[in-house]
Amino acid sequence: MRAMAVDSPNLNISGSRPERQKIENWLNKSMRIRMTDGRTLVGVFLCTDCDCNIIVGSCEEYLRPPDSQPKEDPRILGLAMIPGKHVVSIEIDETAVPQGSDNLDRSEGVGDSGYDHPDYM
Amino acid sequence: MASDGTEQGDMDQPKFNWVDITQEFLSASSQLPLGELVHTNMFGLFEAMSAIEMMDPKMDAGMLCNQIKRKVLSLEQAVEEGSVKISKLEHSELIGIMDSSLACLVTWIEGHSLAQTVFTNLYLHNPYIIEDRCLKCFCIVMLKTVDLIRERINRAGTVEEEDFQPMSYGFKMAGDVSDSRAIGMIKEVEEEYGKISKNTRPKAGQDRTVIQETEHQMVTAVHIRLKFFRLFYSALLSFVKEKCEGVQMAHKQLSQIVEILPAMISTISFGIQEESSEASKNDYPTIPGFEPLINQRLLPPTFPRYTIIKDRLESVNYIKTLVQKLQSITVVPELGSLHTILDFFMDFSRSSPCVLSRSLLQLMLIPPNRRVFGSQSVVDALKETIRNFISPPGLSPKSSIYNHAQAKEYIDALLTRAARPICTLFQITGHNRARQRDKWAHILDDLSNLQEEADKVDAYLHTLLVQTERNRSHLACFGTWVLYHTLNAMINYTLSGFELELYATFEYHYVYWYLYELLYAWMVSTLHRADSFLLDAENAPADMSQKGRSSKKTKKKKRTKTLARELTIAQAYQQMFGGYYKAVVAFQLCGKLKEPKFKFDNEEVRYSHRFAPFSTVLTPPMVHYAQYKEMSDLSRYDPLPTTQEMFGAACKCFCQAKELLDSIIPQTEEIQAIIKIAKTNFVVMKLVVGGHKEDSLDPPEFDFTQHNIFPIIKLIL
Repeated sequence: MRAMAVDSPNLNISGSRPERQKIENWLNKSMRIRMTDGRTLVGVFLCTDCDCNIIVGSCEEYLRPPDSQPKEDPRILGLAMIPGKHVVSIEIDETAVPQGSDNLDRSEGVGDSGYDHPDYM
Repeated sequence: MASDGTEQGDMDQPKFNWVDITQEFLSASSQLPLGELVHTNMFGLFEAMSAIEMMDPKMDAGMLCNQIKRKVLSLEQAVEEGSVKISKLEHSELIGIMDSSLACLVTWIEGHSLAQTVFTNLYLHNPYIIEDRCLKCFCIVMLKTVDLIRERINRAGTVEEEDFQPMSYGFKMAGDVSDSRAIGMIKEVEEEYGKISKNTRPKAGQDRTVIQETEHQMVTAVHIRLKFFRLFYSALLSFVKEKCEGVQMAHKQLSQIVEILPAMISTISFGIQEESSEASKNDYPTIPGFEPLINQRLLPPTFPRYTIIKDRLESVNYIKTLVQKLQSITVVPELGSLHTILDFFMDFSRSSPCVLSRSLLQLMLIPPNRRVFGSQSVVDALKETIRNFISPPGLSPKSSIYNHAQAKEYIDALLTRAARPICTLFQITGHNRARQRDKWAHILDDLSNLQEEADKVDAYLHTLLVQTERNRSHLACFGTWVLYHTLNAMINYTLSGFELELYATFEYHYVYWYLYELLYAWMVSTLHRADSFLLDAENAPADMSQKGRSSKKTKKKKRTKTLARELTIAQAYQQMFGGYYKAVVAFQLCGKLKEPKFKFDNEEVRYSHRFAPFSTVLTPPMVHYAQYKEMSDLSRYDPLPTTQEMFGAACKCFCQAKELLDSIIPQTEEIQAIIKIAKTNFVVMKLVVGGHKEDSLDPPEFDFTQHNIFPIIKLIL
């Protein structure tokens, strides 16, 4: 909350820009990111910046490509930041979910993952 | 969590509808202005800080698995593939495995996780499939040793999180094999190797080939290692025995270990060594049977990366120190009163022992049944100790109130209450040096409350006592004893600041002042009071029965109980700090020590912060900054003392400290070291008085290399 107050003016100024709008529409949706070392991360899209550094919440890590068999158990990472230079591909989950409840659930998830590892600075 | 629900709901029917947005996303994000974030409304910079950074080798433990080209195999897989042997191991392989395992064990005790140390040894994951008997029994004993160490350290409560990693990650610790069975197994194999070693020994007149000789040395090296691991485990088990019954045994076993350690050290090179080629930042080469990355997936996401395993030689040397420390603690049950034991604990802690020896010491004194050495109740031990310290009439069989029911009840209640804080004092010394400072501050609260109770009990006992024995006093008797511990805690707290290098030179004046004028001054008077109580008790009319004994006068001269030693040490330390204080003041006077000007800071804030924990204590009362200023103001003297006079006073203090310390018998290394420092400082002060480096404004240097509390004052050229 505290941090939000700091950069909320930005939100007002640039809220109307189309590219920003586009990214905002992806917020809180499930995102699947492939990294340069071949791992895949699945989590809730929370935050990004101009260098395409992405933060996802409730993140799970898969060592092998997602469609490979047998299915591997993911490792739970919680809140993770992927530096832009390590992002290979980004996919967004477009499954239709009732909008209202979806947002609420997800933001709770964010809170959870945020407190999973609060001591790592 | 929503994402979990949709994803893991059912594996065969993925509910995701992934749409690639890579290009779209990249172009959209690249148009954001620098520094601007797009984020959900529940998410801000604050949350962002706790995110782990992927692909950062320090934070991203999962990254390591991927960067390593080779495949990480489990024990079963490796055996199948043939890269790890479970039968017919060479002697050199056994030696290598045992030494590496010991190195892992030591690394674990030093604070790393089991998963990254001991359990990088694949054999330990499932010793039951091992066919080689020697390796199998070694693995089982290793597991049991690890489990025992873990249990001991957990129980002793000598660590805080981060200091030690007790997590076992669900590994099986050979719990189905009993202690005696494990020892029996290893002993059997040990004896076999012992026989082979004997049979291959050079015989008179026999021509031996190099091969025979090497074979003999190899077998002997395996043999002593088996012996070592058996003895080490047995010694740990001996310490666990109730009522310290195993301590003698442990001492014997430890001596046996000491005997074989040199042979172990000299044969380290016999074991197979890792190849040095493959070393990289995230992986390290190992011998077959060890896989540093096997447990990476078990680690939490933000786990300390990868662990450097100690060198084999270093590890054996570590064990050597550990064994010496363990030997030294076997004398504790014979030390007698709790005060002597507490002194021992303090000294032991000063030598910075490892967590295992600290834990064993703690559990030896106060095992889980909460009785001293497992047998005597804490209250009884306290009574004995207090009798030796201050001999209160209430605890003296000679006294008229000794059998007074009410008095007894009061004393018992007080000591029952005292048991917990006093046990805590011992526990504090079981923590590592850095943790102790906080704990000394915390205990002051409890001691202060106890002090209040003690004073009340004293007052009550006094009213009882004066009814029958008019000229005796019970005032501030138990109170003095509690005060002694309070002062000790305060002193330890203050001194730890020097050891931990918390004080800046410009702070020394008030720290030294507090120690000199307050803490040690109180300590000296407390000990005086206790000592005079002891004297009174010895001179007290020993009831009617003993009157008229002619030997009474000679008896008087020979005091059985006295605090002379403690008293002299306290006086000497007081003089030492007095010397430092006066020297610092003199340096300030002549401009050699100046307080740097800080914009947002002042001395009062720093002073209050340094002594903040003392505010909870009623006796001795906290000296606040304003009072300190007033009390230490030199203008109280008329005429104002000159720099030379101050240096002269410091000189005198050091001289007195030295004389006091010289008079202590027996001398310890610690005391001798301080005598040397006092002497040196005395000489330096003398030089300064004589005008040495008078016109230089260079600040003096406080050199803590000889002692971490008492520095040598040096004048720089």
